[in-house]
Amino acid sequence: MKTKALKLTSILLVALTIASALAACQSKSSNGSASDTPGGTASGTTNDTASAPKEHRTLTVEVFDRGKPGQPDLNNNFWTKYVNDNFGKQFNVTVNFVPVPRAQEVDKLNVLMAAGQAPDIVFTYNQGVVYNYVQQGGLAELDSVLQQYGATLTNYLGDDVLKYGKFNGKQYAIPGKRTVLAGDNTFIRKDWLDKLGLPVPTTPDQFYDTMVAFKEKNPGNVSGVIPFGYSLQPPYPGLGYIPEAFKPSNLTEEQFATFQAQPIWMSNWNLPGYDKAVQYMNKMYNAGLISPNFAIDKDGKMLDADVSNGKVGAFITNWDGPYRTAPGTLTNLKKNVPGAELIPIDPWQNDAGKHPKNGYSPNGMYIIMPKSSKNVDLAVQYLNWMADSKVTLFLQNGEEGVDYNMVNGVPKQTGTTNSGEKMMTVANNLDYDLLSNGIELGDPQKNAAAISAGYPGFEKEVENALKVGMTDYYSLYYYSSPNTADAKYNSALTNLSAQMLAKLIVSKPADLDKLYKTLVQQYMDQGGQEVQDEYVKNYKAQNSQ
Amino acid sequence: MWLMKAMNNSAALEKRKTIENPLKRKKGFEYYIKRDFLLYLMLCIPVAYIVLFKYAPMYGIQIAFKDYNIFQGAGKSPWNDFATFKQIFSSLQFYQVVRNTLVLNGLDLIVGFPAPILLALLINELIWTKFKKVSQTILYLPHFLSWVIIGGIVAQLLSPTGMINSLITHMGGEPLPFLTNKYAWVATYAFIGVWQNAGWGTILYLAAMTGIDRQLYEAADVDGSGRLGKIWYVTLPGIRPTIVILLILQLGNIMAINFDRPFNVQNNLVMDFGDVISTYVYRVGIQSANFSVGAAVGLFQSVICLIFLLTSNFISRKLGDNGIW
Repeated sequence: MKTKALKLTSILLVALTIASALAACQSKSSNGSASDTPGGTASGTTNDTASAPKEHRTLTVEVFDRGKPGQPDLNNNFWTKYVNDNFGKQFNVTVNFVPVPRAQEVDKLNVLMAAGQAPDIVFTYNQGVVYNYVQQGGLAELDSVLQQYGATLTNYLGDDVLKYGKFNGKQYAIPGKRTVLAGDNTFIRKDWLDKLGLPVPTTPDQFYDTMVAFKEKNPGNVSGVIPFGYSLQPPYPGLGYIPEAFKPSNLTEEQFATFQAQPIWMSNWNLPGYDKAVQYMNKMYNAGLISPNFAIDKDGKMLDADVSNGKVGAFITNWDGPYRTAPGTLTNLKKNVPGAELIPIDPWQNDAGKHPKNGYSPNGMYIIMPKSSKNVDLAVQYLNWMADSKVTLFLQNGEEGVDYNMVNGVPKQTGTTNSGEKMMTVANNLDYDLLSNGIELGDPQKNAAAISAGYPGFEKEVENALKVGMTDYYSLYYYSSPNTADAKYNSALTNLSAQMLAKLIVSKPADLDKLYKTLVQQYMDQGGQEVQDEYVKNYKAQNSQ
Repeated sequence: MWLMKAMNNSAALEKRKTIENPLKRKKGFEYYIKRDFLLYLMLCIPVAYIVLFKYAPMYGIQIAFKDYNIFQGAGKSPWNDFATFKQIFSSLQFYQVVRNTLVLNGLDLIVGFPAPILLALLINELIWTKFKKVSQTILYLPHFLSWVIIGGIVAQLLSPTGMINSLITHMGGEPLPFLTNKYAWVATYAFIGVWQNAGWGTILYLAAMTGIDRQLYEAADVDGSGRLGKIWYVTLPGIRPTIVILLILQLGNIMAINFDRPFNVQNNLVMDFGDVISTYVYRVGIQSANFSVGAAVGLFQSVICLIFLLTSNFISRKLGDNGIW
């Protein structure tokens, strides 16, 4: 009886499994044919368009959904109406915006791409993702379309930016233009320096002595003083700008290109002098000068809190870090410790007496068009329209006299874009104005002034921080072909670097040299050497042409 | 849920056996369908759920054996002659994460598995029901906290400058490296697991304990057994089947490790022990879009789990206990 019933249930189960598997297959195949059909008709329409260019078309564009409380419908608001009323009318097009959650942007993009349902214009900041798509043959080639329809666009971006969208010699992406190139800044408590009568440190040695003084004299009179605040964040394992001080100033271009292929704030284990930077950090750790929680503080939140609570003497962070409204470090610090003052300093002096600073490359997000799109020409025309300075000004600021007023050539917001239909979910509306990453007024000086206007209460400080952050600025070497070994090993190696740094920083000074050699050897064995070799190969190939 | 259903079914069948006439034993397929039509219909819903969400996605497993190209899809991507598996098995990190997974899960088995049993025994001995209920509820609560929150609490409490270490230093001691020394971290990890799960784990045992016949306790009283004697000779044997089943289930999961717990508690100083299969798959498979590698590691893990489950079930049956099926 029991076995019979079991048999019965299993038969039922099997039957159901088969049935549903069949159903799944059916839906698969019907999906396939469904996607075939629009393809067929679409090629028909393209032909039609060629003969009758003014036929009405629909262009779909990705937009980041940042989930901001009170945000308007992202496909029906002041900005989308502007786009449709201008570009739309001019080209007889309806532009539809497809919201994609900001935090799951890449996952969602992968799904859309895999399903062949990606909008005509999509974008990401992640170079690895773009490169993956290129390798898998999923992106439209843009060279000829750009030449035909993209005159304003090419002119605005220039070769310096456009080249970042080239893969294997072909244009697969249109990079946005980054208007602020500064990377990090080192900040120090000016009031602590004043209290101890110390000068602003300008070399690593002076900086070290200052930190020792902070520790011993505890000018802020706080419990658990942290002279140098530091957090080791797994996605960005590095030592800030400290390695700049120990990197020889006379590297050849090839050495620079191949040894510092990653930003300085990541770990470039092959970079000459990197071992000394690690040693410097190790010395500080063993003298009790850096945050004891640096490895546990995986997202930097503890560091932010320590700075806000006035425990930290100095730290390295984004060039504008303390002035940002989120998390509002400086505002909170001033609240907690009246009279506290943070200033950007330049202590990482190299052997040539310079303070080099690795900043960002001039490219912003990668705007790409899937191969499955039938509107590549239209998409380029859209971006070309957007590259017009008048359009950019409107998309970033709104209507003059209503949403902003020009003060000394710099738009000053009236506050109408903080809520309702005109709400910008991100400063300068970067989610709609795809081409510029940051305010764009067509002039670096005006941009700088406009940038500092974006930090109410700290305008002067921000202007200064930007100046310090851009002193001796340089960007990484530009490679025309991506590193396939890096694409393969990057995440594993980044993760390994974080573990290595943690171990090296806490190691006993006597063991450091040996440990450093062992760990770097491990790194090389686990793919680091392959990545390095490919950089050398790519460099040679690029410069032999 | 499934277990309980299975148990109920077999119990019902058992009863029917005694009632039905043995001559009418042979009944056709349709007879049962007709008789229990509604029951089967209801059964269809969970079965459909399982098939749709547990079996159908297995179609995607093939990407572990392919050079997965998202534009071509799982079906059309080219086969790659086990290149993914070769890559995984030649990577040092892979062995490290497998070892760590086994170590951490083994530790959970040793420390985490007996904890709810002990706790359940203690709770069961309480006589004041109100106190019993309240303490039970308090013990459950950590189970409902997400690991992200627990990770935050742990960092605040146990970091070198955290609350507990501040207390220790104020009393003149040296701070303990709960999270920064890899050996200490493993202990911390196991302890947090017990803290979060022990209370929740007692539910099943307590339920099993209420099912023990009261007469057995009375008999033990008559035989002059004390409290400990009753626990040892009545309660524990009474819940033995439950313990065995849960042990088999946990052994079956020895290679499967939950993602949130290690991910939120680990840090870079302890990655030698803290990096496990789930975090590895997340990092390599999802973060760097090596879907084939992620799928392959996941498949490897599932196969090992299945082997463990079958083996432990087999052994348990050999030893005379009921397996899970």
